[in-house]
Amino acid sequence: MKTEMPLSKPIRHFLNKTEELLDTQISLLREPEAEPGGTLVDCYTYDIDHNVIIFPAQYVGLLKDFIIAKHCTNLMIKGAASKKGEYKVCSYTEDTVARGLRQIYLDALKDEVNKRDKLPVQKLIQMLFILFTHFNDDLNELPWNAIINASVYHRMPKIRKTQLYHVMKESKNDMDEMMEQEDIVPRRYFVLNKAMFYARDMFLAKTLPADELMPVLNIPQMKKFNHLEVKEMLTTRWTHTAWYQSKVFGDNMLEIIEKPLNQVNWSAEPSLDYYYDLYKIGFNLTNQLISYMTMKDWYVWEKPKHLLTAHDNKEEYEKKALRKIFGDLISDSWEESS
Amino acid sequence: MTVKEAVELLRKGFSYAKRTKYKEAMSYYDKSLTHDPKNPEAWYLRASLLIDTGRSKEALVDCDKAIALDQNYAPAWSKKGLAYYNLEQFKEGLFASTRASSLNGNDVSAWYLKGVCLDELGRSDEAQEAYGKSLELEIILDIENEKKKVGR
Repeated sequence: MKTEMPLSKPIRHFLNKTEELLDTQISLLREPEAEPGGTLVDCYTYDIDHNVIIFPAQYVGLLKDFIIAKHCTNLMIKGAASKKGEYKVCSYTEDTVARGLRQIYLDALKDEVNKRDKLPVQKLIQMLFILFTHFNDDLNELPWNAIINASVYHRMPKIRKTQLYHVMKESKNDMDEMMEQEDIVPRRYFVLNKAMFYARDMFLAKTLPADELMPVLNIPQMKKFNHLEVKEMLTTRWTHTAWYQSKVFGDNMLEIIEKPLNQVNWSAEPSLDYYYDLYKIGFNLTNQLISYMTMKDWYVWEKPKHLLTAHDNKEEYEKKALRKIFGDLISDSWEESS
Repeated sequence: MTVKEAVELLRKGFSYAKRTKYKEAMSYYDKSLTHDPKNPEAWYLRASLLIDTGRSKEALVDCDKAIALDQNYAPAWSKKGLAYYNLEQFKEGLFASTRASSLNGNDVSAWYLKGVCLDELGRSDEAQEAYGKSLELEIILDIENEKKKVGR
């Protein structure tokens, strides 16, 4: 790793250690238009010979260091999985897309029955694949996000304040996601999506011992559930809101997340075996979340290349899945217009 | 060539530097300095470019020229600190970054660099203080940036 930018001591050591353990190279790249959370372009996912961590150009101090720490941990997990076993991600195929879309469609129909303002059919059909890929993205990101944040927190005490700020910001953005579509997205999926983020944030709130990260307090829609008694919860109108349901489902998901992660010895020697164990934990955790959300037959674990190919073929997969579900009811003209 | 034209050359050079076209940027900076060697900003910009291309030792010379023209030119002190850091001369880096942060209390890079140098010198508690100040400023800037994005 050769860079002309200053790096705090623990980050420099961590970068060097990662390169040494994985026998690879890492470059750091400032980009004015980079994602606020930075991006990792790694040789375990893409056909490239070295890894690049990209971060926003305006991050010149500890915010930059935190982004590097986060992506470097992710790289360690991916690299350890590749070296010790096989690195796989949650992907999809033509068949699994059809199963997922069918399920979403059936759930959407149930919702539509009770809606005063029905969603135009074309919009409803378009929403199916968008939701399907949305959950695929979240499942490939969210469990790892919890693991990575916990690891960085325990290994790099000097950047904890920075981490807290970053996690708060990320949490707010994640919770804002889908808000505009609340009335369109089938209730079940809105609830599950919010519940996943709620569970992650609650886990991090317990891990990062600062009480500023409290989803129940930070998210306006969640505030009314703070200190609410069970009886009150069950009898008030809130029992009917998506946010109440998100909390209930989120609490269950929190248990799923906490169980394996509370057993991790975060300060153990950071070897390849250690990071491979983290990978296995993330793998199992993702499977448990998939089971809990009854999406077991929607996704398959495959090499990263499989997912990249699936992304390339997604229009084709969507078209074929819709044909399977609706047969000739899907007109060519709709396909052309979509 | 007028001073105004020399400034225009700097602007062009900076635009190339931003796009990492270092060779072109250097050529414009050199031309500008030939015509107006009394502009501290020109020496500072060339120093930045030299650092970005791994020539920290040469950058130190340019920083000193900028500082000789204006003792209170904070960006040159900040860059000088960075050049020393790259050369692993942490004591000197600490001196320069401290000077930069006192001249411009809002310079995130200077505070951060001060923290990094203190850390390298084993002065961990003082490093935390400098890091704290740098983080505070960085967060303020980040929030302002977010607001601008929303407003766009």
